[in-house]
Amino acid sequence: MQRATKRVSQVSTYCYQCVAGPDLLNVEIEDGVATQVRPNFSAADVHPAGGKVCVKAFGLIQKTYNPNRILTPMKRRNLRKGRDQNPDFVPISWDEALDTIARKLNDVRHDGLIDASGFPRVAASFGGGGTPTAYMGTFPAFLAAWGPIDMSFGSGQGVKCYHSEHLYGELWHRAFTVSPDTPFTELIISFGANVEASGGVCGVKRHADARRRGVRRIQVEPHLSVTGACSAEWVPIRPKTDSAFLFAMVHMLLHEVDRTRLDLEFLKERTSSAYLVAPNGYYLRHPRSGKPLVWDLKSARAVEFDKPNIDPALECQFNVSGRESGPDDTAWNHKNVSCRPAFAALVDHVRDYTPEWAAKICDVDAETIRSVACAFVDHAHIGETIEIDGKTLPFRPVAISLGKTVNNGWGGYECCWARTLLACLIGGLEVPGGTLGTTVRLNRPADNRWSSVTPGPDGFMHYPMNPTTRGEWLSRSPSRHAHRTLVPLAANSPWSQALGPTHLAWMMQKKGLDHLPEPTRPDVWFVYRTNPAISFWDTKAVSEAMAQFPFTVCFAYTRDETNHMADILLPECTDLEGLQLIRIGGSKYVEQFWEHQGFALRDPAVNPQGEARDFTWIATELADRTGLLEDYNAAINRGAGGVRLHGKGYDFSLDTAKAHSVETIWDASCRAASAELTDGAESQGLDYFRKHGFRVRRFSRSQWYLYPALATQRLRFELPYQERLLRIGRELSARLHEQDITWWDDQLAEYEAMPTWHDLQRRWETALAEGFGVDIADYPFWLLTARSMQYAWGGNAAIQLIHEVAGNVAGHGGVIMNPAAAARLNLAEGDRIEIASPAGKTEGAVLLRQGIRPDTLLMVGQFDHWATPFAKDNKAPCMNSLTPMMLELTDATGSGADLVKVAVRPIGGAA
Amino acid sequence: MTRWAIIADLNRCVGCQTCTAACKHANATAPGIQWRKVLDVETGIYPNVRRAFVPVGCMHCDDPPCLDVCPTTATRKRADGIVTIDYDLCIGCAYCAVACPYQARSRVDRPAVAYGGRPMRHEHLREDPACIGVAQKCTLCADRIDQGLADGLTPGVDPAATPACVTSCIAGALHFGDVNDPKSNAARLLAENQHFRMHEDLATGPGIFYLWSGASDRESGFSDAPSMIAEPVGMAAVSPAHQQSWDWRAAANFVLGGAGSGLFVAAAAAITGKTAVIPMLTALALVALGLTCVWLEIGRPWRFINVYFHARRSWMSREAFAAVPFFGFGLAAAYFGSVVLAFAGAACALVFLYCQARILQAAKGVPTWRHHWIVPLVVTTGLTEGLGLTAIYSAIAGLQASTMQLLALALLVLIGLRHVTWQAYRGALGAEGAPTGSFKALDGSPFRLTLGHQLVPAAIVVAGLLADAFLPASLAVAAVFVVASGWVFKFTLIARAGFNQGFAVERMPARGAGDSAPGIKPGWTLS
Repeated sequence: MQRATKRVSQVSTYCYQCVAGPDLLNVEIEDGVATQVRPNFSAADVHPAGGKVCVKAFGLIQKTYNPNRILTPMKRRNLRKGRDQNPDFVPISWDEALDTIARKLNDVRHDGLIDASGFPRVAASFGGGGTPTAYMGTFPAFLAAWGPIDMSFGSGQGVKCYHSEHLYGELWHRAFTVSPDTPFTELIISFGANVEASGGVCGVKRHADARRRGVRRIQVEPHLSVTGACSAEWVPIRPKTDSAFLFAMVHMLLHEVDRTRLDLEFLKERTSSAYLVAPNGYYLRHPRSGKPLVWDLKSARAVEFDKPNIDPALECQFNVSGRESGPDDTAWNHKNVSCRPAFAALVDHVRDYTPEWAAKICDVDAETIRSVACAFVDHAHIGETIEIDGKTLPFRPVAISLGKTVNNGWGGYECCWARTLLACLIGGLEVPGGTLGTTVRLNRPADNRWSSVTPGPDGFMHYPMNPTTRGEWLSRSPSRHAHRTLVPLAANSPWSQALGPTHLAWMMQKKGLDHLPEPTRPDVWFVYRTNPAISFWDTKAVSEAMAQFPFTVCFAYTRDETNHMADILLPECTDLEGLQLIRIGGSKYVEQFWEHQGFALRDPAVNPQGEARDFTWIATELADRTGLLEDYNAAINRGAGGVRLHGKGYDFSLDTAKAHSVETIWDASCRAASAELTDGAESQGLDYFRKHGFRVRRFSRSQWYLYPALATQRLRFELPYQERLLRIGRELSARLHEQDITWWDDQLAEYEAMPTWHDLQRRWETALAEGFGVDIADYPFWLLTARSMQYAWGGNAAIQLIHEVAGNVAGHGGVIMNPAAAARLNLAEGDRIEIASPAGKTEGAVLLRQGIRPDTLLMVGQFDHWATPFAKDNKAPCMNSLTPMMLELTDATGSGADLVKVAVRPIGGAA
Repeated sequence: MTRWAIIADLNRCVGCQTCTAACKHANATAPGIQWRKVLDVETGIYPNVRRAFVPVGCMHCDDPPCLDVCPTTATRKRADGIVTIDYDLCIGCAYCAVACPYQARSRVDRPAVAYGGRPMRHEHLREDPACIGVAQKCTLCADRIDQGLADGLTPGVDPAATPACVTSCIAGALHFGDVNDPKSNAARLLAENQHFRMHEDLATGPGIFYLWSGASDRESGFSDAPSMIAEPVGMAAVSPAHQQSWDWRAAANFVLGGAGSGLFVAAAAAITGKTAVIPMLTALALVALGLTCVWLEIGRPWRFINVYFHARRSWMSREAFAAVPFFGFGLAAAYFGSVVLAFAGAACALVFLYCQARILQAAKGVPTWRHHWIVPLVVTTGLTEGLGLTAIYSAIAGLQASTMQLLALALLVLIGLRHVTWQAYRGALGAEGAPTGSFKALDGSPFRLTLGHQLVPAAIVVAGLLADAFLPASLAVAAVFVVASGWVFKFTLIARAGFNQGFAVERMPARGAGDSAPGIKPGWTLS
């Protein structure tokens, strides 16, 4: 039927719903109503995925018009909080809502920003991987103006992220996230990395291109994930045994592969392999300079590692003299003591980690492990180079990627170490084709990996460890999870709190840990784009904890399980309604490494629904009502809104004395962005970005690789030997014991110079059995989870379209089980079952798939909603309510892994 | 001549459903309606398992079964290969839906909204009443192609002239172009890669080509046919499902229409004079009731007259046309008692019955219907039921013994004939394969056309022939059995055994440097 002519227009915006973004899109508007999401093909030449967005972006139209949205500010009338309580929210005006919040904040400011325990009185929790900042306008400027904020109440950080990878990755190669150099690589060995579900548009496009090119990807994982489906081979490994497989690969390269097939030059020049290790496990150092010594084969004597024209030995033992520096200024002077290079120590360290040894642990044939290791070496192209943007760089087209539960929690250190070490053995770290870091968060500056490469001790990069030495160690951390006290690697950047042991903050709300400050509740808690009552572990305990918080402000899209406990709900403009400018391109999370960098505008596609307000307006109002306007504006001028408003040859700073409109703030930001991108030559503002959507300049592909930055400064990757970690571990141990803290002793054992293998399955089984007083044999299955591209990070379980299309992908809404295992329990497809761990239980439907180990169950995504409209009717199970928060299952970096043992029983009826 | 087609590179596809969502945006389809979607297919037994993602939708076939069956000419095929639906012509009979072997067609009978209650603003804005109660499916975004061509753009190259699913595909798995243009991207991909089309054996000439070959088997062919897996696990969305388009109302048309037309034929042949009036009028009433039932099932009942628009090819149109003289002659015969008119009516009844059989055979999307043995089976079943009803009437009306004996002998012959055609049908179906669910339904029916079941009425008839005094009673009892088993069979065939074709993958794709593997035809079996 021919339609009446409508006024149709297009608005450019971006999607940053997941950490694998941002991506660019257009929204089609008919008569003022958003009707369609479309790719932004004007970005096809600058965006690695050709200006396309993934399925999640198509949920934004429904997200805008969802009748279940909160569209007016609301306040709670029932002062009792809990899952069983009706909050009795009633609409209020913006004035009343903002005045109520401001009054609370002003009270806090009056009482002091820090409470008696030394914790910030104001706390805030934001969702996945920092993506909320792309939607919260200038709220970061308000937080900066406010002062100390406690961000330790995690919404998934630490337990759902690549935690060990973040911390060790940053230490070793500025790799908050690690990625294969997919555009060049030939072989990817993927231990549970689910890039086809979590790698975003760029990841999907690049890996599809790589497959078309003939890349060989081997997926090592207990179930056949989407990524496994797209791989050349699937190796169904026993859950949480990946470290044994990786250690066996290291063994293969060092004990069964000819040395000449390793990149010995890389090991000598770009790693600490040649550093001599003294009897107490620390480097042997020059007595005066304190520099580590190496054995020079040319002069047959020990020399400082950075002496030119030497040929450092990697193997054998040497009698040498020098000084050994231990923890807390302990030192030993050695004369003619037998020392060996770190590489030789490594060879010895992995001697027993044979493929046969690993085979029994992993339930994978030794020959399969051998063939994978051999393929890794076969594809390494040792000695080859490639020219990138006029620079000749090593070419090593092999990479290993790690996924969640492999690279976090206990075992994360082992796996990250082995993966990075394997890359070093073939010279494939931070070179074309190899293993790359793609973003930096703990080191500064956070927007440029290259600039973050600064010289540190012993020829390595600087790393901003939290101090562990006597006198400098912080016995009281400015956060409720003690990140600066317990986790030196968490550093002290704006991101560090999120990289602390966030579950400790929740756990301690129930029972504090001995000799830490009293775990107080925050006076005010802000929540945005997160639902920790669903997305964290032991969701019952988390819900109970947040129900105790005295004043919670939730920026609310719909009612949900977290804002069920809120005092004030604020409806902010959603994705298609708000105005904001963000940085795009360069090198960001996952596979977001571009050949361009710049800025993109989130231009409102439609007018706000109801009483929803732009987040920048809300932030300005709060700043004004709390007397922080000047500091707030100053923070915006400094760049807290995403772009510094002044620079060389330009200054678009806002008058700090007055409140500015949303458009004024972002117009200044757009002008500053234009100036930044043109070195001050141009200064187009909001109108330009509204017309074009984005603005970029070239980002050299050579900057994808950190190797040249290190080589230029003659720096080395801090591998294989972790002398620094060994030292700080000993120091931390001393500090904690001085405070009579012994409950972190297991974690302190992880500070090894080279990690030894631990039986992680037994660790889990023992912790669960002892922690809950159960016979673990009654819980025969390992329960895992996997990301869903349709849902991951999106907070979109309430979107019907997403639910509908996700239903086409196996695994949503139920429990995936191997048919043989199901047959033993007389279970059939669709049967309703109860899944119980020692910590809790949930219900779901059996989904039979051959692509899963018989000893493993899988629940895709995060559900179990009970308050979120629409989502609560879908009855989808989630492992979060089954996974306990336990100190015993917390590693030294403060992270846990999504893993628990469960039992199942039929409860009658079909799904 | 241009032949637009989609190329789906199974090596690239990750099953993300972005194309599914983009299609829903572009076409404002109702919640639950997906013109484009991506299947999640698994093959093998742990630990040797493969998983692939297979985009499906309307195949815009070279020889589309939906086109032939459409009684209204609402479904047409453009010169460039695009199969279209004229929503203003369609009566929503859903015949095209059961004829499509790719489950590409849907019918939405009332406006649907994502969250219940009132439509959201964008839903309200994009509501199209023309789409309600009629068949709908992928248009291949023909409006974009046409506008693009008018603007001098190249479909498949320029996004504005290319289907939304293709332009949205984040993996670069979907391509579009003119496969008859050797210079097109689509033709080049087909030339450079091994590919298959789904259900190629049905000779529909589907317009989605699946690339499957990898580095190691790019040069080699393959001979492994996809394996029929009778009871696949976790493949409900891929395996044949019972068709949802025709329910008991459509079954009633075949039950009542078949029996009614058979009754008219039998009455005309066996009974003369005024005695024939009641069976003839009963026959017409049965047929009318059947047609009324099916009228109640169509989405746009007040457009029913459009059913006459496609007599050239649609057996549904022909059935409708046959019904007109059938009723004319039938009523006239009953009124005038004319043998000539009765025979004319019987001839029309036979044509009507034959049309019903051919309606089923043309429903290519349902394996148990489309088999060529369905035609004699449905015809003999209708005649047998008709004769059975005639026998019952004869017994009740107390007709002459000679007539009764004649009817008994004829009934024996038809029971035998019906059983023979059933055996041939069932045997051929078993030898060629069909959805497992269809076999279960056919073989689990309480009254079957098997030898064991049909010997009972035959024996009763024979007993009646041997004992004249009991012939009317035994004939009536046997006839009830015969009619009941025929009706149960047809009801089962339509409403229980009408499983659709399901989906099949000829070859599981190679992924990167991996190898391809044999495909799968889930939910099918030989039996």
